[in-house]
Amino acid sequence: MNHVELTGVGKSYGGFRALAGVDLCLGPGVTGLLGPNGAGKTTLLRIVATSIAADSGEVRLLGRDLRGGHAELTDIRRRLGYLPQELGYPGDMSVFGFVEYVAVLKEWDDRRARHHEVRRVLELVGLADLATKRISRLSGGQRRRVGLAQSLLGSPRLLVLDEPTTGLDPAQRATLRRTLGVVAQDATVLLSTHQTEDVAALCERVVVLDGGTVRFDGSVVDMVATAAGRVWHSDHEVPDARVSWRTGTGRHRIVGGSPPPGAEAAEPTLEDAYLLMLGPDALASPA
Amino acid sequence: MLPLEDESGPDHRIVTESGTFRAPRCDSEFVDTEQQGTADADLLHAAADGDLAALRELYDRHAPWLAARLHRRCNDPDVVLDVVQDSFTALWREAGSWRGDGDVGGWLWGIAFRRMISRLRQRKDVVLPPDWDAARLGVLPAAEDQVLSGVEYGDLGAALRRLSPEFRAVVQACVLDGLTAREAGRLLGVRHNTVKTRLHRAKAQLREALADTHLEGLS
Amino acid sequence: MSTTGWHAPPALLRRYTAGDLDAVAAASLERHVSRCADCRGGIAPALDIPGLDARGLDAAWSVVRERVEAPRLPLVIRLAQRVGLREPTAILLSAAASLRAAWLSGAVVVLGFATIAATLGDQRIWPYLLVAPLIPVLGVAAAYGDADEPFEALAVTAPYGRTRLVLLRTLGVIVSTVPVAALLGFLLPGPSWVALAWLGPALTMIPVLLALASFIGPRTAGAVVALVWSGLVLAATRGAEQTWPVAATQQAVYAGLAAVALAVIAVRARLTHQIGAAL
Repeated sequence: MNHVELTGVGKSYGGFRALAGVDLCLGPGVTGLLGPNGAGKTTLLRIVATSIAADSGEVRLLGRDLRGGHAELTDIRRRLGYLPQELGYPGDMSVFGFVEYVAVLKEWDDRRARHHEVRRVLELVGLADLATKRISRLSGGQRRRVGLAQSLLGSPRLLVLDEPTTGLDPAQRATLRRTLGVVAQDATVLLSTHQTEDVAALCERVVVLDGGTVRFDGSVVDMVATAAGRVWHSDHEVPDARVSWRTGTGRHRIVGGSPPPGAEAAEPTLEDAYLLMLGPDALASPA
Repeated sequence: MLPLEDESGPDHRIVTESGTFRAPRCDSEFVDTEQQGTADADLLHAAADGDLAALRELYDRHAPWLAARLHRRCNDPDVVLDVVQDSFTALWREAGSWRGDGDVGGWLWGIAFRRMISRLRQRKDVVLPPDWDAARLGVLPAAEDQVLSGVEYGDLGAALRRLSPEFRAVVQACVLDGLTAREAGRLLGVRHNTVKTRLHRAKAQLREALADTHLEGLS
Repeated sequence: MSTTGWHAPPALLRRYTAGDLDAVAAASLERHVSRCADCRGGIAPALDIPGLDARGLDAAWSVVRERVEAPRLPLVIRLAQRVGLREPTAILLSAAASLRAAWLSGAVVVLGFATIAATLGDQRIWPYLLVAPLIPVLGVAAAYGDADEPFEALAVTAPYGRTRLVLLRTLGVIVSTVPVAALLGFLLPGPSWVALAWLGPALTMIPVLLALASFIGPRTAGAVVALVWSGLVLAATRGAEQTWPVAATQQAVYAGLAAVALAVIAVRARLTHQIGAAL
């Protein structure tokens, strides 16, 4: 069953069109949402997470229509986990306290079961030893993991993660990959990032979003294939390349355009395909 | 000349009120509580900061002796474990407000013993008093016993042994167990003025006994 | 530091745990053990009492861990739990800033001053009329955040629902502030109906606040409501009687206003494509 079905979804904020005509169909597994800042990733994720409503189009989650009424909505939310882009933590809450609070919001009324579940998700993200620490005392990466932990409460069927890898070092990303691998066995995970390495490491499918519209929707392998034969290494620069830069070895990596004489074909990566699609602005860092 | 006037040692319970004499420093003062890694005080600060592993370490270090010491005053292991649990929970909660000198064990005993007293009072049960009659028990050879009591109390150990029976209860409560005069009064069922008077007289007796032993040239 | 002090031989420790030592020897040993790392380690193996062995102590640790892991709820909430507040609800209420002792005691102090101003001064009850209704109203405004805030977003996307959460906190604020304010009101000079008359504007301003907050957020809405009410009360001191803001005609107007606000909230809640949050 497709867990997420978006048809012609659009959303505007005042005069600004954040999303236009988005079609999406996702099933179990991990899908990466890639795109530059302002592409509409967060808006799309908020719609899938039922945090905001779309202006137009149809949204079906876990087989249910979002406009089916409050009962349907609550039912979806019972099987949903959401990590917002920037999570704020009130005052002096401890890690355990925060996750427990969300657990109560997710209707874990029985104390023993609730504590057991909180410990379980903290263990999953590797924060079991820091359960009693104040969140304000943790590093950025640790806080992100606290947010991730709350999203995993109740083993949701639909997991929506907005920039889960922010602040995580490579070892932690590996742990995240393992965790998501376990979770994604019969759940749909939709995560956003503006780093291609994350998608390459964590996802089977990728959706590229730019300017509120979908530019690519398919497997990671297929997307890499779009750059086949269009990436070279050379000692010289090329004026009509889409993007090119000097690598650490002193040679130039050239993406797109025509190959200069003496160039060697290079193995394409997901980043190359992404750059070919969106040009050099695609990798601009957030201001 | 006499070690009695030693100014540099830390305060002992014996001197809470009069301060006119201090037990001489003993070897155990130099015992390093920091030998095995982190000091207790540092663990306590970490615990105040929300470090559960620090509390676990403190528990591993202190729970066994605390349980043993409590068991001497109450036969029921369930009560003892209850008090141990309560004490460490209280330790966690009050860790932020501890202004001690490093003797976490002493502070812990204070929390635990008071909790046990109130727990036993609720059950209309009694706190078992330790047995002062060394002669009856006679387990330790005299020399070994002298070393043992000398470790913590120096000459005071022998003097304590010669304490008159009517002073034993207050000395046990106030000096050895660390209760205040008021708390001791409630435990022993006497007015706290009575406790103070008896304690005062007990100290006088101890001072006399100490002076005697020094005159006799014992160390 | 030197470690060549005296240490307790295992045989001695066994004697101790068996209860064979007299008071003085035991006291000396106990004092030493509590401060000597080496000897502390020697106690556990010497403990031969059923129930107080390693397993018993481990089980006790689990209990300690359970108790300290979950955070201690604020005092006010704990007291409410003693009188029957359920734990899940208590946890949800604890995250509200205005249900903490600090906020509540501050509110009581302010109201206390207002009451004193009335009893000492010359029949000046307008400070009380100004402050009393605002306490629950501002309490509600301080009990939750704007729906766009990420922390609040978790409540939006959770089964419990944000609307329900906001209403729960509103109720909590009302229950914790109204009785005290009413009690202080009875100390006022002048007509005694004033002690309860302020409830009219209070119970009106809360739905108005909630309705307004669903458009502009609780903080701004709180400021707006506070300003309007202050303006009303202060204007009354110039022209008409002090009790004008709570007179019968005005109460009728308030009732109408409250009804309108509730209708607005209901309509917003029923708009089925308004997924975010009615409030």
